[in-house]
Amino acid sequence: MADHRPVPPAHPVAGLIAFASSIIDGAAYTRYARPGIRAAAEPGAAVLAYEAVGTVCQSNNVLLDVAARHHDLEALVLVEEHVAIDDPELCAKVRAAFRDPDVAVAGWMGAAGVRSLAWWEGRISCGPVVVRYDQHGGGVLPAHAWTETDAPPASVDAVDGRLMALSPWAVRNLRFDEALSLGYGYDLDFCLQARAAGRKVQTAAFRAVHHHSLELIADRELWVEGHIQIAEKWNGSLLGGGAAEGDWKARARRAEAERDAARTLAYSSATLLDAHVEPLERELEAMTTSGSWRATAPLRALNRLRRRES
Amino acid sequence: MIAFGCSITKPEVFRRCAEPGLRRAAEPDSEVYARAATGPIARSYNALLDAAAERTDLEALVLVHQDAEIVDADLCATIRACLSDPDVGVVGCCGAIGVRSIAWWEASVTLASFVNRYDDHGGGDLESFSWRWEEAPPYAQTGEVETLDGFVLALSPWAVRNVRFDEALGAFHGYDLDYCLQVREAGRKVMTADFRAIHHRPLEMVPDPEEWIAAHIAVAEKWDGRMPGIGTAAGDWHDRALRAEAERDLALAIAHTKQLEMQARRREAERALAETRGSISWRITAPFRRRTRSPA
Repeated sequence: MADHRPVPPAHPVAGLIAFASSIIDGAAYTRYARPGIRAAAEPGAAVLAYEAVGTVCQSNNVLLDVAARHHDLEALVLVEEHVAIDDPELCAKVRAAFRDPDVAVAGWMGAAGVRSLAWWEGRISCGPVVVRYDQHGGGVLPAHAWTETDAPPASVDAVDGRLMALSPWAVRNLRFDEALSLGYGYDLDFCLQARAAGRKVQTAAFRAVHHHSLELIADRELWVEGHIQIAEKWNGSLLGGGAAEGDWKARARRAEAERDAARTLAYSSATLLDAHVEPLERELEAMTTSGSWRATAPLRALNRLRRRES
Repeated sequence: MIAFGCSITKPEVFRRCAEPGLRRAAEPDSEVYARAATGPIARSYNALLDAAAERTDLEALVLVHQDAEIVDADLCATIRACLSDPDVGVVGCCGAIGVRSIAWWEASVTLASFVNRYDDHGGGDLESFSWRWEEAPPYAQTGEVETLDGFVLALSPWAVRNVRFDEALGAFHGYDLDYCLQVREAGRKVMTADFRAIHHRPLEMVPDPEEWIAAHIAVAEKWDGRMPGIGTAAGDWHDRALRAEAERDLALAIAHTKQLEMQARRREAERALAETRGSISWRITAPFRRRTRSPA
């Protein structure tokens, strides 16, 4: 069994911002995370890239264990393999965040007023982060394009774990909770642990590109179970929302109503999507099926060929 | 005599939407109670029921939302055929089974013979699944259901005289489910029938979430233990709360995803339109298109 006990520093901190990734998809790491890390890292910086082991919590704890052995550690930046840092000033921003010795975690996006695993339902603070997606012809959207966000820095309850910097204190004193076996909420839980220890969590204006599908949650049933795991651990304390035994009924009734309202909202959003976009798609179809467009198809094919050859 | 009733809060909407349908479906001797609303929909509808109940020759009372337009000129024949079974209390064109809450559309919908005609986003028609029988899925069917969409309801004389809309439930939401539950609790049937209507309404389904949530809770509290399935779920209250909160957040995330998809699809279409319009082949063929469009 892995020893995840925090490693005490043997020497005073002298100044090293290390980067770390646990790798499941090597191609994604090579394509997205690694170039960004290389561009952002300072000369001589440690870049810890290890194969993922077990859950995301286990993998991250391995990275923390290794990083904790660097006696001159100034910060550890955890980078998920689909995140491309696009920020030559990243290290300066990390240092600025940790100038306050109470700050334990600084992340590219986070939120205050977090009540659950769905931290993005709180008041979001997010830096210059975009999502690059492949669907619908591909494109780029600002992160959280469905809502308004605040600019960093902001003191928050939790940050998203796919790009977050940890202070030496956090690296040596906190561990990702491997009891969260489903992996969901590992970052929220880590931030709540930091806050429970009296430390601060904040956002920083890290510039990055997240190569990700537009879908926020891929495995919905597992995510629901992960949500419950987090609620069982933190409800009544840092997440608020505790209920006396007699109040659980009222809470359940309200939650069931809110759930059905949210499902209806999702259904409405789908029909709105069609209503909003279909006129444009119809117009495009009318143009590209017109006689003149079809008649000039050989011309376009020729142009494509010419461009390819030149 | 088949009577028609409509409670009106916006006369312009009534004139544009419900009135043409009433003229289409009403028979020469039909009484049409088109009256200004007197408060929440339950109270207004009860006033219509009181008026219709006085008619000794009443065969049915068809209640129509002011934004609902009946399509079928032979609606009265359809209603008569359905109410020929004396156990039938109420009839509609959209209903479901397996209903757990006022969000009846989350249940197994058996018939949805309506069009949602909206003005937002340039306007359009959103056809529900049994609007055209030839395109309807295999589960589309008329028959007994647990609840109906209240936008068009045909009530039997027994229902008109014995069942009242519950004025304690709130301003609007859930009144239709509650009425159907009352009818079923009294041992009568709730049925769908083969007629169609146009619902002139925006695409947004829950514009007033707090009111809707309050109605959801009120209906659950009222019927829990009285009617199987309503207001109940697996687990104790603690389990139900945590699971529903998780499912709520999941549903919100799905809604956010839909918004992102909308933005992505719109950008894709706009990009393709701009590329097409800006292409040489589109520009050099513009005179031909102009000639095609110009009158001979």
